[in-house]
Amino acid sequence: MIRAPGRGTSRSDSLPLLVCLLLSVGAIALPKRWSLALANGLRETALLPLLWVQERAAEDRTGRARFQAVQSERDSAALAAQSLGTLQAENERLRGLLGLRARTRFATVPAEVLHQAVPTDGRTLLLGVGRGTGIRPGDAVISPEGLVGLLISAGAQTAVAMTWAHPDFRVSAVTEDGSVLGIVAPSLVVDASEAFLEFRGVAYRDTVATGTLVLTSGLGGTFPKGLPVGRVAGVRREELGWERIYRLTPLANPGHVAHVLVVRAPAAPEPGQ
Amino acid sequence: MSARRGGFRLYLGFALLAGLHFYVRPRIFDGRAAPDFLLLALMLVAVRSRPGIAAVAGFLVGLVTDVLTPASFGAGALAHTVVGYLAAWGRAVFFPDNVLVNAGLFAGGLWLRNAIMLFASGTPSGQLVPGLLIWSPLQALSSAAAGIVLLLLFRDWFAIRLET
Repeated sequence: MIRAPGRGTSRSDSLPLLVCLLLSVGAIALPKRWSLALANGLRETALLPLLWVQERAAEDRTGRARFQAVQSERDSAALAAQSLGTLQAENERLRGLLGLRARTRFATVPAEVLHQAVPTDGRTLLLGVGRGTGIRPGDAVISPEGLVGLLISAGAQTAVAMTWAHPDFRVSAVTEDGSVLGIVAPSLVVDASEAFLEFRGVAYRDTVATGTLVLTSGLGGTFPKGLPVGRVAGVRREELGWERIYRLTPLANPGHVAHVLVVRAPAAPEPGQ
Repeated sequence: MSARRGGFRLYLGFALLAGLHFYVRPRIFDGRAAPDFLLLALMLVAVRSRPGIAAVAGFLVGLVTDVLTPASFGAGALAHTVVGYLAAWGRAVFFPDNVLVNAGLFAGGLWLRNAIMLFASGTPSGQLVPGLLIWSPLQALSSAAAGIVLLLLFRDWFAIRLET
């Protein structure tokens, strides 16, 4: 072992280390609300130029690499939209006959995802869109494939979304035919080789076939009804004969998604309306 | 080379790393195995300074990553502080003036950073194993490769001595 001459550690090196370690541990122990506010403040001030650069990079990449894919998606969407008018008219007529009120329409705001090179990226996503567009914490975040997560913080220029991969994420969900309700949460099991979800709280008497599409139920009011979450990939486990927990393959991958849509919650009606 | 000119080139070097991290990486390498140029900047600070200064630099770099990825605020600061200190301490004890030793230092630092971040942020065990055994080694390799290319091209800018 060769020791470099003239260089070593001393007490003057230990003190900054201890201070930094204490500050780090203090930051971990901060209440979530404070840490999000602090992060938001730093993002909107000191780091704004760097994020501006990263946003331009994300836009430039989109312009080059994803142009053909977006064009192809647009063509498919245009084709599908041709029969939409008839379908909408038919739907409205049936709703009228049944006396149902008009379906709530949600506005969406497109956002670039600014990925970071750290292993926790994917549990939260930094979005290049701010409060000025009308987004608020609690709004759902979706990609063309399905549900990605929800906003937990919205600043003037950027926002942070908690994705389904975050251990705290939960969403009320229902099978495509509306017969089985449950709660979707990320799986915390040891033997997983990749991140997947669990469809929990399914009554023991209910059976969900493999491949069934699971959508948001709209219960709770956080997520709009009908957003695709994942597909059932088998029974995960059974709890004491009263609950089945299904393994769910998520449709959207937060680690790879480059663009998302933030679903703006409709404004609360004025009192008396 | 005057001290003033050397200082200017050093700042230019770190500006280059910031540009690589915030512009080139999102355009070309975006993904979980993409090189982390912020960590490379920290390692370059660490190998040319005392452990105490490297710990402070690590804390600041970690704070930046926490602000940009607030999955678990403080985990990045903790991880980068430890890695910065250990890298500077390792440099003080050994002679890493070799390209391969530097590559090992970059790769080891990145893997350790990721490991501490994953543990400190309470990662579920299902996500921990692929994170530690698949994605972190891949990112460590890509970062080490990028670091060596940077060192070979800009070693004068970063005032780093390399044995050839």
